[in-house]
Parts: sequence; C-alpha cells; structure tokens
Amino acid sequence: MALPASASEFVVAQRYDYNYRSPIRWVASHVLRYKPLLVSLVVGAWGNAACAFAVPALIGVGFNAIIQPVPNLNTVSLCAILIIVSQIVRGSLMLSRNFSAEMVAQRIERDTRDELYADLLGKSMTFHSMQPVGEIMARTTNDVHELNLMFNPGINLVIGSAMFLFFPLFTAPTIHPQLILTPALFIIGYGLSLKFYSSLLRPATEAVRDRFGDMNARLAEAIDGIETVKGASQEKQELANFDRGATAYRNAFVRQSDIEARFIPLLLMGIAEGTAFLHSILLYRAGGINVGNIIAYMGSIQMFHFPTWISLFGFSNISLGLAAAQRILKLINTRTELDENKDGRTARISGAVRFEGITFGYKEETPILHDISFEAEPGQTVAIVGQTGAGKSTLVKLINRTYDPGAGRILVDGVDVRDWSLESLRSQISIIEQDIFLFSRTVGENIAFGLPGATQAQIEQAARDAQAHDFIMNFKDGYQTVVGERGVTLSGGQRQRLALARAFLTDPRILILDDSTSAIDSATEDQIQRAIQRATKGRTTFLITHRLSQIRWADQIVVLRKGRIAARGTHEELLRTSEPYRRIFDTENTLEPIEQDEIELQPGR
Amino acid sequence: MGDIFDGLDVEAYDRKYSDAQLVRRIFKYFANQKQRIGIVTATVTVNAIVDTMRPIIISQGINIIIAATSPVPLIGLVIGFYIASCASWGTNYVRRRAAGRAIGDIVRDLRNDAFAAAVSRDMSFYDEFSSGKIVSRITSDTQEFAQVVVLITDLISQIIMVFILMAILVLTEWHLALILALLSPTVILAALAFRRVARSASQQASRVLANVNSMISESITGINVAKNFRQEGAIYNQFDGVNRQAYQINLRRGFVLSLIFPTLNTLAGIIMATLLYFGAGSAVSGAISVGAWYLFIQSVWYIWDPLTSVASFWSQFQAGLASAERVFALIDAPAAVVQSDEQPVSELRGEIEFDQVRFQYSDQEVVLPGLDLHIAPGETVAFVGHTGAGKSSIARLVARFYEFQGGNLRIDDRDIRTFDLAAYRRHLGIVSQVPFLFAGTVADNIRYARPEASDADIWAMAHRIGDGEWLDTLPGGLETQVGERGARLSMGQRQLVSLTRVLVQNPSIFILDEATASIDPFTESQIQQALNIILSKSTSILIAHRLSTVKSADRIVVLRKGAIIEEGNHESLLMQGGHYAELYNTYFRHQSLEYIEAARR
Repeated sequence: MALPASASEFVVAQRYDYNYRSPIRWVASHVLRYKPLLVSLVVGAWGNAACAFAVPALIGVGFNAIIQPVPNLNTVSLCAILIIVSQIVRGSLMLSRNFSAEMVAQRIERDTRDELYADLLGKSMTFHSMQPVGEIMARTTNDVHELNLMFNPGINLVIGSAMFLFFPLFTAPTIHPQLILTPALFIIGYGLSLKFYSSLLRPATEAVRDRFGDMNARLAEAIDGIETVKGASQEKQELANFDRGATAYRNAFVRQSDIEARFIPLLLMGIAEGTAFLHSILLYRAGGINVGNIIAYMGSIQMFHFPTWISLFGFSNISLGLAAAQRILKLINTRTELDENKDGRTARISGAVRFEGITFGYKEETPILHDISFEAEPGQTVAIVGQTGAGKSTLVKLINRTYDPGAGRILVDGVDVRDWSLESLRSQISIIEQDIFLFSRTVGENIAFGLPGATQAQIEQAARDAQAHDFIMNFKDGYQTVVGERGVTLSGGQRQRLALARAFLTDPRILILDDSTSAIDSATEDQIQRAIQRATKGRTTFLITHRLSQIRWADQIVVLRKGRIAARGTHEELLRTSEPYRRIFDTENTLEPIEQDEIELQPGR
Repeated sequence: MGDIFDGLDVEAYDRKYSDAQLVRRIFKYFANQKQRIGIVTATVTVNAIVDTMRPIIISQGINIIIAATSPVPLIGLVIGFYIASCASWGTNYVRRRAAGRAIGDIVRDLRNDAFAAAVSRDMSFYDEFSSGKIVSRITSDTQEFAQVVVLITDLISQIIMVFILMAILVLTEWHLALILALLSPTVILAALAFRRVARSASQQASRVLANVNSMISESITGINVAKNFRQEGAIYNQFDGVNRQAYQINLRRGFVLSLIFPTLNTLAGIIMATLLYFGAGSAVSGAISVGAWYLFIQSVWYIWDPLTSVASFWSQFQAGLASAERVFALIDAPAAVVQSDEQPVSELRGEIEFDQVRFQYSDQEVVLPGLDLHIAPGETVAFVGHTGAGKSSIARLVARFYEFQGGNLRIDDRDIRTFDLAAYRRHLGIVSQVPFLFAGTVADNIRYARPEASDADIWAMAHRIGDGEWLDTLPGGLETQVGERGARLSMGQRQLVSLTRVLVQNPSIFILDEATASIDPFTESQIQQALNIILSKSTSILIAHRLSTVKSADRIVVLRKGAIIEEGNHESLLMQGGHYAELYNTYFRHQSLEYIEAARR
C-alpha cells in the first residue's frame, strides 16, 4: 500500500498508511481516519434539514387553525413555540455539522501537509533538481489547502444541500402522493442543467485565470525591467503589449459572465414554484388537500433555493480539490532512485576518485555529460572549468550520489559509490554549492548544521580557518546574529566563508567547492584565497571556479565543453595545447578587436 | 473575510481623495458605458419588481382560495407567476450580460491608464516604490474594484426589492410591518459582531500560515544542504511543531466561522415565529387577510438575504473604494523629470557636457555638488571611485532617468531638457549591472531596442562575438527561450545578449554599468570582444569594475564625493600614486596577472 516508502532517503517512524492508488481513494483514506466526525456531520446535516422542513409544516398547521370557522389561537402559539424550539435545535445541529466538517477539513490539511513534507525530505536530489521550488511550494501550500476547502465548505455543503434537495421527495407525499411530481422533476432538471452549466463554466473560469496570469506576468516583467524599457524607448510597444493582455482578459471575463448570466437552475426554480402552486390549487379544488397543506407544500418547495445556489460552490470546491489531490499524488508517487543503502561499505575515505565513462542527463534522452573519464589522486586539487551549461556542477554532484550516472561509474577509493553506505559516503564528502544556502538561524547554528553537538570553541576554530571569524565578530551579536530573511544580509563572499566553516567542522575527506562568488575588493579576495587554500589542504578537492588564480595553480585542470572533456592537464600543458585556455589568461586584453565595419547597420532612427 | 486588510500598506504617493472626488473619478470611467449602465439600471428595477410580484401573487392566490370564488382569477395568477419567474430570469440574464461588458471595459480602461501612468514615471519613482506593489495596483486593485461593482449591482437589485416589499407590507398593516422592521436589524448586528471576531481569528491564521510557508520554503530551498549533512530528521521535527500549531489556530478560526450561519438561521426562525403569532391575531381580528399574513411570514426570507449581504458587504465595499483610491493615486503621482520642450533628435554626435551640475536623490545628501565634465564625441571614459562617489549618477543623468537640481547638461550643445525623450533615448545604448531580458527568444531580446532589425542583421551581429560560439552553448541558438527576466540564461549569457542588443542598435552614446557578478573566464573573454566593438563606435561612459575595462578607456575619471579629483590613463594615474592608486589597490589588484602568478600556495 505505501508505495513511495520503498525507496527513500528519509523515513518518518510511525506513519499512517494511506491508499495511493487514485486521488479519490487517497482522499477517502484520509477522510476515513475520522469516522466519528463523519457520523456527527451526516447526523447534523440530516437533523438540520428536518428542522428546516418543520417550519413550513408548522406554519401550515397554524394557518389551518386560523381559517377554521372558530379560529384557534392556542394552536398558533404552540406552533410559534415549536418553530422557535425547532430552530434552536436546528442551529445546534447545524453547528455540530459545520464544526465536524471543519475539524475533518483542518486535519486533512495538517495530515496531507505532513505526509507530503516527510515524503519530500525522502526524495532524492535528482527529483528535487527537476522540480522547481515554486511548484513544490504550490503543492504544499495551495493544493493542500484546496483539500481543506474541498471538505469544508465543499463536501459539507454538498451533503447539507443534498438533504434539502431530497427532503421534499419524502415530505411532499405525506401531504398528498401526487405532490411528489414537482420535486422529482425539479431534481432531474436541476441535475442535468447543473452538469451542463458547470461543463461550460469550468473552461471559461480557467481561461479568465490564465489570461490574468499572462497579463500579470508580462506587466511584472515590464515594471521590473522599466529601466530597460525606458533606455530602449519602447514605452509605446509595452503599452500596446499590455493593452493586448488586458483586452484578452476582458474578453475572457465577458465570456464567463455571459455563461453565469445563463444560470438555468434559477429558471427551473421559478417554474417549479409555479407548477407546485398550480398543482396544489388543482388538488385543493379536487378536495385532496386543505389550505394549510398548500402553504406547507409551497414552503418546502421554497427550500430548493438553498441547493440551487449553494451546491455550485460545493461542486467547484470538490473538483478543485480532486485536481489538487491528483497533483499532490503525482508528486508523492514519483519514484526516486536513490536509497540509503544501509548495508553498503562503511570506511574512512582516503580520497582517490575515478570517473569511468560517465554519461548523465536529468532526462535520459538529453545527456548533459558524455563519456567523462579522469582520475584524482588523494589530496589533489582538480579545477573544473568551462562555460555555463558545460556540465561542471552536474559532474561533481555525481561523487556524493546527489545523482547517479546513466552509464559508467565513479569509484571512491576503488569502490563504486553505489556500493558505499549513503551515510558513510555523504558524511565524508562536503559540497559547497554555487548558491550557498543558509538557514534563517544564527551564524553559530548555521556553522554547526552538520555537527549539531559542536562546542563554541569548535565553531570558532572552523570560522577562523574559513577566514570568517573576523567579520562574524563585527556583527553586533557575533555568533548569535541571525542571518537570512529576518536577519542580516550577507555578501556572497561572506556566505561562502560561512559555508566553508560549515564544511570544516565536519572535516570531510573530499571537498567539492562550486565557487561562483567574485570579490569586489582585493582585501576580500585575499581572505577568500587563504580560506580556499586552507580548505584544499589534506583532502581531495574539486574546484569549480572562475578564479584564474585558483585555476592557475591547481594540480589538474579539466576543461569541459558541452558535456565533454575538451582538454585536461596542468596549467603549463594547457597553455601549450588549448587556444581557448590561452585566451582566458589574456587579461591584459591584447587581443585585436575584430576588423571594423565588416557589417555596418544604419544608425539609429 | 480576513483578506480585507491585505495589500492596504500605505505608500508615499498615496493621497486622500474626498468621497466626492472619488465618486467623480469613478463616474468618469462609467461615462463611456452610458448605454450599458442604462440597460443595467432598467433591468435591475424590473427584476426587483417581478421578484416582489411572486410572493404577492401566491398570497393573493391564498385569499382567493379561501374566499372560494370563481377559479378563473386563479388561472390568471398561475400564468402571472410563470411570467414573473421567466421575466425574473430574463432580466437577470440581460442585466448580467450588460454589466459584464461594462465592467470588463471599465477595468481595462483603468488598467491601461494605470500602466501608462506607471510607465511615464521616472526612475526615482521606481527607486522609492517596490515594483511588486506597483504591479498589484495595476492588476489586483483594479480587479477588486471590479468585484465591488458586480456586488453593487446585485445588491441594488435586492435593496429595491426590500423597499418595494416593505412599502407593500406597511400599506397592508403597519403594526406587523413595524415588528418586522424592528427585528431585522438584529441580523445586521449579529453579522457585524461575527465579522469582528472572525477578523482577529483570521489574522492569526494568516500569520501562522505565513510561518508554515516560510518553513517549507526554506527547507525545500535548502534541501541539498540538509541532505549533504544528513539532517532531514531535525528539519522534520521542526516542521511538525509549526504544522501542529497551525492546525490549532486554524481550528479556532474555523469554530468561530462555523457559528455564523447557525446563529443567523436561528434568529430568522425566531422572527418568523413572532410574525406567525402576531399575524394570527391580526388575521383573526380581520385587520389583514390570511394571504397578507402569509406574505408577512414569507417576507422574512426575502428580506433576509439582502440584509446579510449588506452586513458582509459593507467592508468589501470600503475595500473596493480604497482600491480605487490606490489606483488613482498611482495615476496621479507627480513626475519629477519634466521636459521643457519636445524637440526632435534626428542624429547625435555624442558630445556630452556637464556644466556645474548639482544632483541629489530625493531628500538625501547631495551626490554631485557641481560637476564639470566634457566628453568628446567617440571618446571612451571610465569612471572609478568608491561606492557613492557618483559614478552611476553621472550615467543616469545622461540617460535622463533622473532630474538634476542645478547647472546644465548639454548633449551636442543642446539642453537635455529640451529633447523629445523617446527620440533622444533611441540614440542611447544602455547595459545595466544586472542585464534585464524579457521573456521571449534571444533574438527578440537582441531586437528589443530596434524592432525593425532583420533576422540577417541579428544573426550577423551575434556572430561577430567569438564567432558566435556563445550561441552554441544555448540549446536553441538565437531561438532559445530566455525565460522570465532571462532566468534561463547565465549572467554571462545575459551580458552577451544585452551587448548584442546594443550592437544592433548602434547608438551614439553607450552607457555600461559593469556587472560585478562572477562570470566564467571563457564567457568573460567573449564579453570583452563585444565591448571592444561597441567602444570603437560610440561615445562611451563606463562604470568599470574590471581591470581590463578600465584599461581599455581613453580616459579614466577618478571620482570622490561627486567631484573629479584625478584624470588620465591607467599607467600615468598609477604612477601619480594618488587616489587612483589607492582604488587600484582596493578593487583591481587581484585581477592582475601578477596577482594570479603570485597566488601559488
């Protein structure tokens, strides 16, 4: 049953088993966790309708009492009292219905969010790198909330209004058997027309939402890039663009309101009331019913008002909820390739890394790396260079099994990484990514992230080694300074040195540094250089860097071009063998600009 | 209910409009829709009348039945009821169609006006106000305004109905009508009381939701770190706590909201029972007919809906007006850059002259106290200096993104204030520090400043840089989609695209605010190539961050606190050992070949 738990990097103890076979079953398995609440919901809904229908019946009795030749005011006061009592009972039953629904709905949101979150933590990085953060956020916030709304008001209203819809089928025949006719016909007509209506409305509403999104996206872009718009004096073009978007939205909006204008159930409601009136007059004249009956009957037909308006919301909530459930399930049911491999090799890594014929692509049909083979000896520093998109970052992430290669293998100390225990492998390899991520916690906690029990002395030592201690002490709260959204903003160089400190604390055997920072001033550059030098000492290091000074002095340089090794060797070797490599060291800009005017455009208007 | 306060943050350009002003402004937009508004008004009125007819017809029917006279009028009543039902639906249909079109058009007009106003503001406006909020005024606030208009037409129809019904009831029997009129406000009071409680519960709920969301967002963004250090468990426990807390608070809010309708319904039942009882007395005494008695009891339902709507609608109405106010404030925000004339600018040599130019950003300290600077046509000038020395300000004034407060700025001996701005800016090529690309293809972006450029021109220009090698690294070459804001391209690739844009534009004056972001050395050498081509053709203003760019300038201008303190080329300035030497040591030393060679570990 618990399909996704089979291959996971992280599992929460004591999880409840849900059914993952289809969105409906999955939602049902969530709902059925709370059976007593469901019972209280249905009982409340039924009782609510019963008490509501008591009102027209009692009013009918009251009328009969008055139009008698000898009016009986006592019966009327009894009816009035009974109405008040029934409505107080009704209020409490409705409350218990609403509250049960609310409780189930909130629990579903809580449970599914928890379930999804735990599942996401267990998914491999291949999964996460394919999934934009925005998309995952949409699942864990909006979609999970849609499930909440699907139950309340969605299912709650549908159950509640269904009672109102079907009650006349039972109350009307108690007045006269023929009177079942109008409610029965109405229900059929109502069902058909509602189905037709929502089949028209759904695409129209989606179109409105899409057009709004388009208009908004383009507008946001134009406003963000206003300097470019003005600089290129393209204001008129952008105004025309926006007008197109606003007009497309206007047309979608008009289409939707046209469909809404044609809400057939409203017409049916009026016709049903008229027919009920006609029918009861005919029965009265035939002597089948009395005046009180007519009033009671008309009153119960009027109860259709509630389902006519309300169920529309309910159904759309449910269909939105099911769509959300489907999206969430799709995420949960995505298989993830890596697992913890607990029985794998556990040993201290000495640091020999060997790539053998590696081919890899996030999607198998479009490989990013082709047939990569090279070797790093323990303690060596390997610089990996190349243009953006050459595959540098991907290549190094294969070492700690962030991803597994499609073909070929990677050996660490002569053992395929897939035969290592994931715990043992990852705990000895440290990756410092291009976008350095710090949690919204204190500086000290961020450094100690990989070693939760670290002492203050250990943390400070790591920070000193990473050349971070000085700038940390310059903060008012030192190591207690909170970073991130709610705290101080750090520069790229500072973030990088914190990440280095974080890595130093776990003393990895293999360090992977994906370095894309650039120092604005030379003093900072000096510190970064010292920190990186300290980091490479005594461990195998893979450096992805734009720093010529780091490339210049690496033990080995691998030049990647479009996923293949274009050149490999030491600095001196590459200066001899590679023209593009020689060009990047031409910082004095001695290259001739291309001959002028071989293509001449008309000057600007 | 809780989102009433969303987006109500006050911005400095907000202004208070009197209600009369506001209504007049709104009315202006409605004026273009006279015919539709007429249709809506007519159908709303007819709709209210026929809706009131229905309970009256039934109450008359009951009177006739009890009187047991001829059945003929009854048949007429039934037919009348059918006609009223169809007419109710029909008028509603016509009304909604007309209202939909009117509102659609009004909102489009309002949006276009708001966007046009935003586009015509100068850059100081954008420095001050976040683009997200400007966008939300143009799209969301106008949207909210539209929804309120829809609600108003619904509500007016219902209120007309309430008045007609109440008038009939008063005429029928004013004692009973008075009872109904006195009891009805309890509904409004109850609804308003709930709103108050619900609002504070909702605020709490949205705060806790924000907590959950930022928690999830953070851990998903940092998932690689958590995985690298095997800390999934710790993160999960933290989330679990926040998630449970959110559940508790949401449940409390749900409980408050669950109370509303049961309470309102019970109140309605009590009012109905009261009317049943007192109406019975009047019916027996003969003050009213039985049919009228029925009408009184029925009217509770008919009055119910509009009253609850008014209560829940009131704050929405206020929010809608506030939205309109915000949109108008955006439209009416004053411009800082004002042109004295709109002289055409057909051709420029690119001569720039600052004559005692004094400049400051609004209310901040003076950036340029009195700048004198002459740049000859075709000259390449690099500006260096610490942050805040005034480098960017010089470039921005040339681009006329900001207004200066004193002195003169002349381009080709003409006052920059007399230009037709759009025409002038067509001669400027600007590459900003973080190059901005629009969603679309690489070719679209290259063509941006010059939409009429042919595919062949673009292809040729793109291939002048590094033999077009950079295009090979893009999956679709020139047809590659760059994504929103160019997100799918690397910083270096974005630089190359925007430099090619300038190449195609072939401007007289080129302004470069050089990127500080780190770019891979291969791309870097291609950027340098593109720069060399542009610099050879235009008057160039460079805010340089790279040593090679500084060196490629004809003249280096050293700025401190908005004043020029040294000028010359790289070697001579370095020899002087002045401020430039200090700047070199601070910002450029680590980019030199000597530094690289000395970095041996």
